[in-house]
Amino acid sequence: MQDLADRDYFTDHSILLDPYAYFEALREKGPVYRLPGRDIFVVTGFAEALEVLNNTVDFSSAVSTGGAAMPLPFTPEGDDLTGQIEAHRAQFLGGDLLVARDDKPHTNSRALLSRLFTPSRLKANEEYMTGLAGKLAADAVANGGCDLIKDINVPFATLVVADLLGVPPDDRDHFMKVIAEGVPPGSLDEQERTGQNQPLVVMAGFFVNYLMERMQAPRGDVLSELAAASYPDGTKPDIAELVRLSTFLFGAGQDTTAKLLGNAMRFIVEQPGLQDRLRADSSLLPDFIEEVLRLEGSTKMTSRLARKTTKVGGVEIPIGTKVMISFAAANRDPRRFENPQEFIIGRPKIKEHVAFGRGAHVCIGAPLARVETRIVLEKFLQKTSYIDLDETVHGPRGARRLAYEPSFIIRGLEELRLKLTPRH
Amino acid sequence: MPQIFVTTAKGETHTLNAEPGTTVMMAIRDAGLEGLLALCGGVCSCATCHVHVDPGWMAAAGEMSEDESELLDGSMRRNEHSRLGCQILITSKLDGLRVTIADED
Repeated sequence: MQDLADRDYFTDHSILLDPYAYFEALREKGPVYRLPGRDIFVVTGFAEALEVLNNTVDFSSAVSTGGAAMPLPFTPEGDDLTGQIEAHRAQFLGGDLLVARDDKPHTNSRALLSRLFTPSRLKANEEYMTGLAGKLAADAVANGGCDLIKDINVPFATLVVADLLGVPPDDRDHFMKVIAEGVPPGSLDEQERTGQNQPLVVMAGFFVNYLMERMQAPRGDVLSELAAASYPDGTKPDIAELVRLSTFLFGAGQDTTAKLLGNAMRFIVEQPGLQDRLRADSSLLPDFIEEVLRLEGSTKMTSRLARKTTKVGGVEIPIGTKVMISFAAANRDPRRFENPQEFIIGRPKIKEHVAFGRGAHVCIGAPLARVETRIVLEKFLQKTSYIDLDETVHGPRGARRLAYEPSFIIRGLEELRLKLTPRH
Repeated sequence: MPQIFVTTAKGETHTLNAEPGTTVMMAIRDAGLEGLLALCGGVCSCATCHVHVDPGWMAAAGEMSEDESELLDGSMRRNEHSRLGCQILITSKLDGLRVTIADED
């Protein structure tokens, strides 16, 4: 039988149900481990993950959406690949997305988005989020249950980003349909990967119009702010750039949040006594969400390309090789987290986990994802006396049947059928 | 390029080159200095890039937004010279700026 550590993470569907066992098998080989016969290093150590994420000089993010297994679109030459990467950027899958950019183009674009998720803006949207979550939860309870992913999380996460940006209500249903038909990033099936950015293309047509309208007449929403934004040096971004950024925010924000909510709910129904504890004291929710992020955040890994020969954790990373940083493994590193496989609410310094990454590319929407998750869970706990999985779909406790998205990037359930007992 | 002087919790002062258009947080983060987590990456939503600005540089560092002030309220280390490093934009006027990384809460 094939050793677990020798399986191909990028194509093997059997790793999906428990990628954590695979990462533990790799951890045994060391915190920085080169996959045999491949140009890929896997980082499972926490300190080593930070080392890579914080080193934007030696590492490029150009491979972050295509993944570490994608071949480079060029033959590496010289001792610095920066020029070659930029010359071939269009040939990297999603190479012009914000997550994949490097250096000044990345810093500049990110600066445009830096005021979008401040506490005051989130507070302003909280009323909308609370109302929407309350309605979705009430409908689900009235029906006796729901598929949390498709009935609740996807519409919720999509509508919240739409509301925050200022997408007109009439267009929101159309967007949800386009997103529902799209494939998640990091598909294990290679032919699907080229289609992963299709929803962004469709939405781009809409966003051009929204942004042009707001350039004429600002409305105080996020799109108006983007339409008026300047780079730090005072120059104005062109409209194509603004369209790319706004569709990216839309696309990046909804799938990951929907999956995080699903992962969190699975803990709530599977951990004995947890739902009663959270119902009795909802102030535990933020710490609970951080622990879910640590143990089962919705992004398993990201990738970097060594544009210079460098070192990570004392291991030489040759120029042109790729590094896969496993957030899932770093967050379970026993050198950083005591009893890392255990679910413990209230760990010290828990927010330092790397579920959202770290450094220059850390998830810009993390503050929003946290608020969204808290509000939906709050509403479901308030309106129920008991939440359980539907055994006819998922099987009995101890022998659950759960299906995860076939993606090497995303960790999330395809379906989570709940049975909801109303609170009297 | 403007230079800024950053003192760590250990009392060591580092001279950093800071490119206009970036922020004090980015200069410290990219230099890999200890004690600055900058967890949110510069979107003004946590307070883990807390610095104390040298008194003579407070005015040049610019105005603080309400969001920034509220976030700093959550820190036990806040004093009259507290700022979030991600909210201080580097310009040529800040050549010579001195800040100290605030101790972790």
